Amino acid sequence: MATISVTKSPARARVFEISADEAKRLPWLLLTPGLVALAVVVAFPMFYSFYLSFTNYDLTRPTTEFVGLYNYIKLFSNATFWQAFGRTVLFMTLAVNLEFLIGLAIAQLMAKALLGRGLLRTVLMMPMMFAPVLVGFQFKWFFNDQVGLVNNLLFTLTGQPHIIPWLVQVPLGFISILVAEVWMGTPFMVIILEAGILSLPTEPFEAAEVDGASGWQKFRHLTFPMIGPFIYTAMAIRSLDLARVYDVVSIMTGGGPGTRTELIWTYVYRLAFTGHDYATGSAMSYVTVIVSFLFTFFLFRNVIRSRWEGRE
Amino acid sequence: MSTKKMTRRDFLKYAGLASGAAVAASVMGTLPAAAAEATEKPSLFQFPHIQKKEFEGVIVRMLAISGANYDELYKIIPEWEEQTGAKVEFVFKGDGFQTDKRLVQDFAAGTVDYDVCWDHSSFFSQYVKADGLEPLENWFSDEELADFIPRLVDATRRDGHLWVIPRHFDISCMHYRTDLMGADQVPETWDQFKELAKQLTDPAKGIYGTQFAGKEEALSGRFYEVMTAEGGQLFNEKWEPTFNSPAGVKAATMFAELYAAGAMPPGMTSFVWEDVAKNFAAGIIAIYSEWYGWYSFFQDPSASKVAGKFDLARQPMGDGKIHSGWAGHHGFSITKASQNKPAAASLIKWLTSVKGNELEAKLGFLVARQSVWEKIIVEAETSTDPLAKKRLELALLQAQEDFKTPPLIAEWLPMSNILYPILQQIILGDVEPQKGLDDAAEQVRDMMAKAGYYGTGA
Repeated sequence: MATISVTKSPARARVFEISADEAKRLPWLLLTPGLVALAVVVAFPMFYSFYLSFTNYDLTRPTTEFVGLYNYIKLFSNATFWQAFGRTVLFMTLAVNLEFLIGLAIAQLMAKALLGRGLLRTVLMMPMMFAPVLVGFQFKWFFNDQVGLVNNLLFTLTGQPHIIPWLVQVPLGFISILVAEVWMGTPFMVIILEAGILSLPTEPFEAAEVDGASGWQKFRHLTFPMIGPFIYTAMAIRSLDLARVYDVVSIMTGGGPGTRTELIWTYVYRLAFTGHDYATGSAMSYVTVIVSFLFTFFLFRNVIRSRWEGRE
Repeated sequence: MSTKKMTRRDFLKYAGLASGAAVAASVMGTLPAAAAEATEKPSLFQFPHIQKKEFEGVIVRMLAISGANYDELYKIIPEWEEQTGAKVEFVFKGDGFQTDKRLVQDFAAGTVDYDVCWDHSSFFSQYVKADGLEPLENWFSDEELADFIPRLVDATRRDGHLWVIPRHFDISCMHYRTDLMGADQVPETWDQFKELAKQLTDPAKGIYGTQFAGKEEALSGRFYEVMTAEGGQLFNEKWEPTFNSPAGVKAATMFAELYAAGAMPPGMTSFVWEDVAKNFAAGIIAIYSEWYGWYSFFQDPSASKVAGKFDLARQPMGDGKIHSGWAGHHGFSITKASQNKPAAASLIKWLTSVKGNELEAKLGFLVARQSVWEKIIVEAETSTDPLAKKRLELALLQAQEDFKTPPLIAEWLPMSNILYPILQQIILGDVEPQKGLDDAAEQVRDMMAKAGYYGTGA
């Protein structure tokens, strides 16, 4: 017979005796509240929206019919969806890589800083403290064609009035939302990469120093490969963040004008929540989530591989 | 001087006594006055259908619009409560879009626990489709409806029933700068409007000829009213989209030509109502369509550079020889789930009474009752505002002759959602007007098919 003792205090120990079967069931019993919560707030909405993607569900219609693969078939011939999808992938790729390059440069500089590193870190983390909605409003104002900071700055510098419609013209609209997103996401990269750089052992660098390696060679052949797992982790997390980017874009351009800055989630929102077409919105979400899953799988496979290579 | 330290308990005790005394004094002071007023002034509660205390103990739950001056009307509710013995409980207050969202969700989920709801001529079809509203013809007689502007009442009749009792409405008219153009230049057609807007554009002075709200329903609605003036329709009698007709293409081309000519601000595709109003008030727009609701803002010299420098005109006509007149009205409906329909109807009658309309007319709203219009137009003759009378007469004329709502179907907003991004593409020159409208028509046809308009299930 298995026994489990529960000690309340050194002076008063109480022992509960339970059978082996009960001991097997106990972990599940303890897990039940968590599993129920997960089922209610994660599993049920997911399965329900999956079911909706096979119906013609409309919030204002009393009846709902099963339509099979209709929404998915229509999706594959929906040019706007695939354009938005492609734009989202481009946005994600550019944003992650820009954040990585800028973040790596700042992290490298900060790792060398002897004074004021704490203050620098605090200042750098400030963009992360703002809600994305506020960042959206802030950059919307920066790029406003009539009263925006950027056009006014250009006027001050050149003495000529510049009414550049940043949020309207191609590719300025896309660049504007990219700038806002990079501003908001770079500090995260800096923190992760700086932690990686500071955790590196000093011996390989001392050996490289003795061998006369230059600063670039040390970075290229030591720092960069050794912080590989940190890079992949940071990029995977940011990629997932960016794959579901919505707030900043919604506030700054709403995906428009036309479809010039339309990303996948602004399109889904317009369809599902403004147009009440939850069925097509759900189908789009599932296609997007599956692709995001494949992308994340690819990134994490690289994380594992780089760790494995690190051990070798 | 000796001081005594006061404990927190003592402080609370004295503060409580002081505030209690203040409340008692205020009640003592106001009671006789209130009683005197009640005896001196006859009640304005003039509806024969209401008997004293006929709803004693009934609680009427209400979902209402709030913000701006909308809440002022609710100040007459206590008098109705006093007369009928019922009580009104607000279950939700929000702006129009929040209220619409709440209604759509509640009707879909079957969680309606209120009797009266705010309603709008552009939104009510969604609630009818969701089977959420009570037909009102059984609760409001023709006699009771006779005083309302007929087009407003007709705007919410569908499927043989009346669904909304109008409260106030809004419609657009041309607002033009009198310091930039003369009254003789006021355009009578949209073709003239287009040429005039190009002519008035003056980049050196920072003046744009015109502008439109450039996204969401605001853009779809403006397109709708220009297209109908040009003789087009959004749908034919079989509910097939027809806005890609020559009239639709002509309307869309006008927007695109004005933008390409620099006669509209480059950022217009991001403008909503507030943006266009602020631009006009900032003095950078020569002529454009605007709702009457902004009038007092434009005439306020502390907020507007064009105060006293603008005039109003009827919306232009198109090739269809009819004036544009995209309009909408606010009102009240009874929910199907209501357990207190007689009391709910009585409350709506009270809120949309002459008294309610007079109160709202003083706040600047364009109200629904014709008798109130007659009165306020007479009063406006003595106003110091030179446009006061003209504004009211023009608005009434438009309400009686030009008032046009979008199609009375639940799909108007989803359709607008499909249409406006394509209109933006046309305006920016990303797509040709005909091709863009053809694409939009195909998407709208698909949406209507899904909604079951053509008898197909998908």
